Amino acid sequence: MPFLGHPLRLLLATLKGLALAHVGLTYGFSVGAGWGPSMLPTFMTTQEWFVTDRRCRRGRGVRVGDCVAYGIPVETGEEGVKRVIGLPGDYVLLNSPGLAGEYEDEEEGGGGTAAGGMIQVPRGHCYIVGDNLPWSRDSRDFGPLPLGLIKGKVVAKVSFDSWNPLYWFSKVENGLRHPEAALARPG
Amino acid sequence: MAPRALNSIWTRVKRERSRIGLFGLYLFAFATWIPVVAAFKNCIGELVWITGASMYPFLNAEKDRTARRDVVVNYKYNAQYGLKRGMIVTFWNPYNPELMTVKRIVGIPGDVVRTRNPYPVSTVKVPPGHIWVEGDGGERESQDSNTYGPIAAGLVIGKVTHILWPFHRSGKVRWWEYAEKIRDRG
Repeated sequence: MPFLGHPLRLLLATLKGLALAHVGLTYGFSVGAGWGPSMLPTFMTTQEWFVTDRRCRRGRGVRVGDCVAYGIPVETGEEGVKRVIGLPGDYVLLNSPGLAGEYEDEEEGGGGTAAGGMIQVPRGHCYIVGDNLPWSRDSRDFGPLPLGLIKGKVVAKVSFDSWNPLYWFSKVENGLRHPEAALARPG
Repeated sequence: MAPRALNSIWTRVKRERSRIGLFGLYLFAFATWIPVVAAFKNCIGELVWITGASMYPFLNAEKDRTARRDVVVNYKYNAQYGLKRGMIVTFWNPYNPELMTVKRIVGIPGDVVRTRNPYPVSTVKVPPGHIWVEGDGGERESQDSNTYGPIAAGLVIGKVTHILWPFHRSGKVRWWEYAEKIRDRG
């Protein structure tokens, strides 16, 4: 095979290429499919892929409002995507932000009040919640998540709904807005 | 337009080549091996120098006689699976996600563990997907699950399989001999 060179050399080059790809996917960016209704307004239930920024692994540079990919603590090896609503030291509502209609009378709570109590997120942990509150298993079930389980920040979603690859990607924004900006919005 | 731009780049590369020469070629050949080493350390395993007394007397047994630290093999392939009582594992500390910590597994999912001093309740059942880890050094030397509770098995980085240094204690880590001692506690 004069075109590709010596077989051993080709094998070595393949090995090096695979290793380079692995390093890029581990410490740079990775793409993977997601499934499930837990993040519904932000992500579709099926047929959507995520671009994950692995430089944010173990919570590096993650801020409140970011979507993160994390290893589910109660199912080793499984990964999920949720939104961070509390970082170490933050106070979060355990039932936050309250499901509309779950509590009929105001005195019992709901609608963002401290119905289920309030905790301070311990050091090295974060509090994650899905956007689709009734259909999400998140920190409300398994408690604060160790930052070490965070695989990376979801920076873009990929939906293959066009023939043009330029339209496949759409950026995922941080959901946190300044309170004044949120109040200034009409309605 | 595009071929012209390419051409100028190519002439520049050819001009530079005489200056970079054989040394540059060797440098590039060396650089191509860096991802291979990084991938190996990430997937298969690496050497770890043990800091601190939390695993005394099993690791760093000569801590009061020498400043030299124990060297162990941290085997990372499929590390989060097949965890057993008595194994020594490395994991990301739940309180500090950048700190690699080494402890012994005392409880696997479903076990009822008798806790040590800082933990608020006397017995705890290890939840699914979690493990209970403790240091051999006891509650004075070790900050472990008795401080931060059961840890998710997803935090595990690797299993400590061999001790390489010091030479007189080197060899395979016989973790199964400790599984029986743990059962006496519970």
